[in-house]
Amino acid sequence: MLDFIQSLSDGVLFGATYALIGIGFTLVFGVMHKLNLSYAAASVGGAYCGLLVLKVFAGAPPLAVFFCAFLAGGLLGYIVYLACFHFIPISNPLATLMATVGMLLLVDEVIVHQTDGMPLNYPALFDDVMLRAGEFTLRGDLLMVFVVSILCMAGLLALLYRTRLGLATRAVSQQAVAAQLCGIRVGQVNAMTFVITGLLGGIAGAMIGASVGTLSPLLTTPLTIKGLIVTVIGGLGSIPGAIVAGLLVGGFESVLQQYRGVTERDLYVMLLLFVFLVFRPGGLFAPKEGRD
Amino acid sequence: MALLELKSVSRHFGGVRAVDGLDLVIEPGQIFGLIGPNGSGKSTTVNLITGLFPLTSGSIVFQNEDLEKLPTHLRLQTGIARTFQNIRLFGQLTAWQNLWVAQNSPADWAKRGFFSRWLGGQSGVREEISQLLEFSGLAHRQDELAANLAFGEQRRLELARALATRPKLILLDEPAAGMNTEEIGQLRERILKIRAQGTTVLLVEHVMELVMGVTDRIAVLNFGQKIAEGTPVEVQADAAVRKAYLGGGE
Repeated sequence: MLDFIQSLSDGVLFGATYALIGIGFTLVFGVMHKLNLSYAAASVGGAYCGLLVLKVFAGAPPLAVFFCAFLAGGLLGYIVYLACFHFIPISNPLATLMATVGMLLLVDEVIVHQTDGMPLNYPALFDDVMLRAGEFTLRGDLLMVFVVSILCMAGLLALLYRTRLGLATRAVSQQAVAAQLCGIRVGQVNAMTFVITGLLGGIAGAMIGASVGTLSPLLTTPLTIKGLIVTVIGGLGSIPGAIVAGLLVGGFESVLQQYRGVTERDLYVMLLLFVFLVFRPGGLFAPKEGRD
Repeated sequence: MALLELKSVSRHFGGVRAVDGLDLVIEPGQIFGLIGPNGSGKSTTVNLITGLFPLTSGSIVFQNEDLEKLPTHLRLQTGIARTFQNIRLFGQLTAWQNLWVAQNSPADWAKRGFFSRWLGGQSGVREEISQLLEFSGLAHRQDELAANLAFGEQRRLELARALATRPKLILLDEPAAGMNTEEIGQLRERILKIRAQGTTVLLVEHVMELVMGVTDRIAVLNFGQKIAEGTPVEVQADAAVRKAYLGGGE
């Protein structure tokens, strides 16, 4: 029983990073009705860029690395927007989708080339802290990952629901033509969406690096798949759905890893996806039917 | 001097001439009616004026400015607003927020820098929103999601949202569709008030009791071409108009 609770809590804490990745997919889909398949790869890329701080200032604190990853993620988000959605006609859905696949592979190749394919160590905070309650333990670095991720989500929700930019973003996602006629520049809002999801992605990548202890180019593909699964389980376009689904998938895979081993666990995650697609295709919080 | 001028405007979709060599002049302060049978090009004309698709030929001049190069969101900022035949509200925003979104005119933003423009909250919201909600009879519904409003309320909210952009010209695309006689009477009052506040109105409408009672001047379209123009009385007496509407042989 203790094993179960232990692996579940570890998984849920780590699942916060999946939730961030899922939010990135879901927000772009919600606003533009497009999939940005390069998102997880760009997030890992942002995390790698965070390491540049250590190259310039050896011994820089982990927070500086995280912050640099955050900014680099936002910049990469903008580059992805320009490359895949600005200069490629957005009215051609297949062209933009394939452009993001190309971007995924490109980011991957750049990482492999720059690091010779070797994993790099990633700094963490509180990795020597261990909270104990009897046999049950909480890793300090995982708690830090969880708290930072939750803060980022709170920031995003505040931005979406408390500011004019958020209002404009929601307006574009619900009714793009009318938004234009309210004087909103749809292209600008789309670009902002990519920058914001990119910032979140940079943090997500850094948090994954911090909790695993290393970054490797091998991360991008499984992370893309997990992010998409989280997006589908949460319901395409639903941010609360992505948050809950991220934690759910994190906990689920951790428990199955405990009982069935690391090579078998992803099999069950895929099965979970199919269970959702069959029984609840609209996701956890299937959106209410509006009249528009 | 004309507020809006369409000079031999055409829009072809493949072989279909949705609008074909249309000339229109709308003077400031007018309530101008645009009528015609289904498929005669009325909605296309409104879409062309708002820039939702480009002209095949001709030009549109608003306040001495050629609109051709202007993307839709900037046309709004020059003072053109519209409502849609099929209502396009932001369904998951409240009635109040639907109007807040529309406050994007240069005057709203001139004083604000990037951060207060994008990251600012509800401060600096004009009182106008509550006045417009009052005007539309929606004050008691302001916190309701637009998707949950009744059909008539949604139509009124869409009109209020167009007014929130402070237009000089408002294009109403079949605002009376699906309304009962009482609601049409209220709409008529609202259109007259809008004009009284100095906004010019282009009214595209099927409901004749509204068009004939409220407009100063009417143009009649058929198959994308203007077949008549004049005061309501003149247009009603026009033989070509009667034929277009009632059909019938030579």
